[in-house]
Amino acid sequence: MNKRTILKRFAVALGFAISASAIFAQDSGPLIDLLVRKGIVTDQEAEELRVDLLKDFTANSSAGKLNLSSSLSEFKLSGDLRMRYEANSQTPELATGGAPVSNETSRQRLRFRFNGDFLLQKGWSAGFALETTQASDSGNQTFTGGADDYGIFLTRAYIGWQPNLNWSFAIGKQKNPFLTTDLRWDSDINPQGLFQGYKMMLGVKDTLEFRAMQHFMFENNEQLIGPAGRDAWMFEQQAVYTRWFAPENLSNVIFAVGYNAYSQSTMTGLLNSAAFAGSTRAQNYGTLAGEVNLAKINGEGTSLKFYWDGSYNFTGDTRAYRVYNLNRAAFDAGEAAWLVGVGYGYGTGKVQGDYSARLDYREVGVSAIDPNTNDSDWGFGKTNQKGLKLALAYNVNDFTNFNVTYFDTKIIDEKMTFALGNLNRSHELLVDLVLKF
Amino acid sequence: MKFFPFLFAALTLVSTVSAQRLVIKGSDTLGAKLVPTMAEEYKVKNPGVSFEIAAEGSTTGISAMIDGTAQIGMSSRRAKTTEVSAAQAKGVTMKPIIVCYDGMAVCLNANNPVKGLTRRQVEQIFTGDITDWSAVGGKAGKISIYTRNTSSGTYSDWKDLAMKKRDYAGSSQKMAGNEQIAAEVAKNANGIGYLGLAYINAEGIKIVPIDGVTANKETILSKKYPYARPTFFYTNGEPTGEAAKFIDFALGAEGQKIVEKVGFITLK
Repeated sequence: MNKRTILKRFAVALGFAISASAIFAQDSGPLIDLLVRKGIVTDQEAEELRVDLLKDFTANSSAGKLNLSSSLSEFKLSGDLRMRYEANSQTPELATGGAPVSNETSRQRLRFRFNGDFLLQKGWSAGFALETTQASDSGNQTFTGGADDYGIFLTRAYIGWQPNLNWSFAIGKQKNPFLTTDLRWDSDINPQGLFQGYKMMLGVKDTLEFRAMQHFMFENNEQLIGPAGRDAWMFEQQAVYTRWFAPENLSNVIFAVGYNAYSQSTMTGLLNSAAFAGSTRAQNYGTLAGEVNLAKINGEGTSLKFYWDGSYNFTGDTRAYRVYNLNRAAFDAGEAAWLVGVGYGYGTGKVQGDYSARLDYREVGVSAIDPNTNDSDWGFGKTNQKGLKLALAYNVNDFTNFNVTYFDTKIIDEKMTFALGNLNRSHELLVDLVLKF
Repeated sequence: MKFFPFLFAALTLVSTVSAQRLVIKGSDTLGAKLVPTMAEEYKVKNPGVSFEIAAEGSTTGISAMIDGTAQIGMSSRRAKTTEVSAAQAKGVTMKPIIVCYDGMAVCLNANNPVKGLTRRQVEQIFTGDITDWSAVGGKAGKISIYTRNTSSGTYSDWKDLAMKKRDYAGSSQKMAGNEQIAAEVAKNANGIGYLGLAYINAEGIKIVPIDGVTANKETILSKKYPYARPTFFYTNGEPTGEAAKFIDFALGAEGQKIVEKVGFITLK
């Protein structure tokens, strides 16, 4: 065995000892430099050793075959695959007041998501996500006949820039940046547009953030006259105050107040559940969300959460009676929506044995929220409903979750047959197995 | 049938000439002056040998060696993982041979009162974390950074050696070569740049020590000076034939004398 082979084995062994990973060849650089400085190997032997280690690295690891940009400081690939059993029942309201007929459905569905997130230098970032199904409020692909194949769609593609600790910007189709619940925003929806954020540290324990987004909602042909020829934009602003407190500053209270409005346009052909096709007029929502998180409530790792969300359409009267054309004498304008919930958990949902339970109650007036963004997994995205939602989650192991979700809703304003608010009763059971990678 | 002896003689001549033709491609740091000077000296002693030297960058040199279009690839940097991988895929055994060392010195305008910098300060200046000379003990004034252009191996080597692989400051100005950097820093009282040791005696500039260590042969060979790099010949396995003879010449006393003359640091 010659000297270089001995040295190589020595460096490899040390590399393993130091990093215990497949990238030991690259990590061995400082080690080789040290051997040179100590006079154990010459520069020439060190260079030959480097090439030998690189050969091992490229031959024996997939990472060695990657050629990533030098401006990249982190490249993260992640995703999840969810298998779902779903059973639900929808009972439409009948104008005559006759006995409603329940529509029962059960189906097996899958959702696949694949994400790439890139951190670049000087505060820049970028990312993408691929997902099953085209509707923005659901990634679920129902198993259909004949062993069909399914499509994959681009659900996120964004460029971000954080020039300093205070400012942040993102443009493109991105994760929802607002503090909210599924009362107003379906977590599946990735809004598209321009986000601006400004964060202030108010002492050690308080932060105040201002978030604003111009969300592109619908492309219209500008050659048409009036709202049908204007693109639809949603504008949302939010101020978020966070206060951390004992024990160990793990607990916090968060208040978020905001405002959400549209440019006056026409939207047609949206793919979401219970989407409203028509005028964006008279949607001026004041919002109020927040949560209280209490850590170590029942020993190490446990936590208790109280959360709430609310929306009030300042122009709900116009929305209900002029845009939705409801009968003023028969139906309430339904300007308000609210949600209160409580949750208890152990761990963060990332380690085997972690669990959580959440229960909330909500009421959603017919004109109180934007039906294009609310959660399709509560009352099938419809408004004019009140009811409960229960969500249970358990970590089978560090990367697999078993989840059960159930909701039950009832109509608020009876005899409404307008499509957005015509569910007399609905309930749904979702049983999920989610593997994250 | 006189044709056949002529043909045989001609083929023999062609093959002899071909065997004595050395194709060397790669780094412009090595290929601009050092290797052509070595080649001229070598030809004096070996009249039958001809050279084809193309200084088009280290990347070109390593690729040419892997592709077999050059017997020797010149490089002012180490081979990248992807290049080692590409060589392996083609059955090429990449062998690095250190030819000499190239130190990079930090130069300031001769009138700049700053007498020295730390490695951390150099990193902060070239990345744009520090933008004013007053932050490093100088007179207030916005720092003007001069670097090599992005196609230069030195440009990326400086990032590795001095900037922890971070990006250059957005305001940095890219220059074609060492002379241009020296000239700009000499003109600009707030200028800073880096130079190969062959260029440190230019007028109007001064070289500052880094962490108290000045760039010279002794500090580079003893690894005390932080901004130095080996330069390489890359061959496919152990060099053979004329390539081996030329490399022996380059690493020997005569070749190393040329190294010193051209302004690089010798192996010993």
